[in-house]
Amino acid sequence: MLEIKNLHAGFDGHEILNGISLTVNLGEVHAIMGPNGSGKSTLAKILSGHPAYEVTGGEVVFEGKNLLEMSTEERSLAGIFMGFQYPVEVPGVNNAEFLRLAYNARLVRHGKEEVDPLEFDDILQGKMDSLGMEPKYKERNLNEGFSGGEKKKNETLQMAILEPRLAILDETDSGLDIDALRVVANGVNRIFKREDNALILITHYQRLLDYIKPDFVHVLSKGKIIKSGKKDLALELEAQGYDWLTTTQS
Amino acid sequence: MTGTLTQSAKRPEGVIHDLHRKFLSEARPPEAFRPVNSAGISRFETLGFPHRKHEMYTFVNTQPLVNTGFALQKPGKIASDAVRPYLYPGCETSHLVLVDGTFRPDLSDTSALGDGVRAVGLEQSAGEEPLRHYLLETIEAEDDVFAAINAAFLSGGLHLEVMPRFTASAPLQILVLSSGSVSGSVVTCPRLFVQVGELAEIGLIVRFAGTGGNYFVNTVIDVRVSEGAGVRYSQIQQDNETCWHFSKTRVRLARNGRFLSTHASSGCRLARHHYEVDLDDVGGELRLNGLSVISREEQVHNYVRIHHRAPNCTSHQFFRNIISHRARSSVDGTVIVDPGAQQTQSDQLINNLMLTDEGHADNKPNLMIFADDVKCTHGATVGQIDENQIFYLKTRGLTEAAAKSLLTRSFAESVLESIDFPAVREDLENTLLKKLEASHG
Repeated sequence: MLEIKNLHAGFDGHEILNGISLTVNLGEVHAIMGPNGSGKSTLAKILSGHPAYEVTGGEVVFEGKNLLEMSTEERSLAGIFMGFQYPVEVPGVNNAEFLRLAYNARLVRHGKEEVDPLEFDDILQGKMDSLGMEPKYKERNLNEGFSGGEKKKNETLQMAILEPRLAILDETDSGLDIDALRVVANGVNRIFKREDNALILITHYQRLLDYIKPDFVHVLSKGKIIKSGKKDLALELEAQGYDWLTTTQS
Repeated sequence: MTGTLTQSAKRPEGVIHDLHRKFLSEARPPEAFRPVNSAGISRFETLGFPHRKHEMYTFVNTQPLVNTGFALQKPGKIASDAVRPYLYPGCETSHLVLVDGTFRPDLSDTSALGDGVRAVGLEQSAGEEPLRHYLLETIEAEDDVFAAINAAFLSGGLHLEVMPRFTASAPLQILVLSSGSVSGSVVTCPRLFVQVGELAEIGLIVRFAGTGGNYFVNTVIDVRVSEGAGVRYSQIQQDNETCWHFSKTRVRLARNGRFLSTHASSGCRLARHHYEVDLDDVGGELRLNGLSVISREEQVHNYVRIHHRAPNCTSHQFFRNIISHRARSSVDGTVIVDPGAQQTQSDQLINNLMLTDEGHADNKPNLMIFADDVKCTHGATVGQIDENQIFYLKTRGLTEAAAKSLLTRSFAESVLESIDFPAVREDLENTLLKKLEASHG
């Protein structure tokens, strides 16, 4: 589904990703872990097409297409969802209305008719019920004045509406208390039934992986994957930290 | 062309004088206005024509106005069919119409409001007390040159009384229509005088529009709010792009009076709005919001003076301007808090959204506080659409254009949502936002 080959990329002339290769198949959950500054978030931004980051080498193929040639919105419409570490507040834009715009953009892409606000409300309510979300998420403006936990819940709701093929969740667990983490993780587990989608979790802590079970764990350091393994690797990292890996590497 | 407001090498003052002489002999204003006309022209003589160094016109270049030849407007012939497109839904039986500054009872209908309001041509009451005295008193103290010119050329207008304790069931629309001239440019000086009685409640929508010709509309609006009365107010400027629009809105609030206003401007060649509000007694409440959406060479300038003269009053100002192409906007706003006006609450926020690099926004928020127990804030921002917000929306599948349009609309929406009249809000959402979409190309 997604193939990253020897990806080099950076920001403002500094190389941050230093030759990453990773293959994600349908139905798989991959966790990418690593210390601060290892390039985890840069990888997420590159995959979603952030204009400030520059790819200097390598290639990324998503479902047979060159991802790096696609615009940010094309990537989204093709089924890639980026869950932000710090979701952006957009004052004045109603959350439900925004979700309908995004939902309709997808329908139009697939040659289907747009839904009107009433029809969409049924769809939205269904998703909100299944995620156990309060009605306030419909009424409020997009992330405006949301707490950290509310923002991440709202990202989960967006993901549920957009039904991505591949979701990349960047530090979804950061800044969440254990209750909020549980709600978000349950939501993610509901959305990803593993039949026709895949998930990349970017995280600094093992804690998230207690709730969302990865098939593979990769450790990123200095812009490179230095170790890959199964779920046990995450436990090992939790117990020993990252130092033993990064030291042996250097 | 004789009787024009320059074109010659004359100073603008001389041109105004020539035009005024012509006005007195040819337009023959009603007898009741004669004292106001002469007080107006002598006040104009004292103030002089504004130039760049004139404190009130720092951001407004009046030179192009001087270089345009203006003639006097002969009242246009407009039938009721022509008026209908400018009436908001819900105001079919609650509207008053002025054409080229003259009140037209034949085009007006206030049956929905019954005896709760009384509207007459200003010429009918201008000679009677207390209005006679008020008109002369205000012109003697007038500090805005264009309001003085309005008085000098006063030939018609509207006197509206809202009866004490009357609660209006429908908003009242006052339509100020300009027919203009297709061959040149004409000047009209409409004057509205609104007296809202004690404990009355009314919604007023003052809409300015043109039927196609070129004109310079120079208006003065007085709203006097009596004790405990409340006015929900919207002033909508929708003149043609080639026209000139000056307005001075003067509001006086008595004890516990409320004036909640949202002004919307679609801009024109030069639009200037002057708000002068006096909170004369305790418990007054003012809201003064404004939205301008301007493009190409359009201009909208706001000049605001709010005077807190008594304790326990509040005033809120919230201005947003959306500026594209080479359009220009300014907000020059001062709040004055008198020594005795303790417990004043006042805030002022000005936000400008620049859609292009060539646009121009001037902001001058200002506080003059002479009391020590008050809560006053002010601030101004000038910015572009946030790149992070655009990126976020694009990651959800919105195109760049759709993301920009959504963000710009939401910027405008926060002012539009303060308009109390759904029909007005809807109309503005359509007209102003359509204009925005054109700006995004």
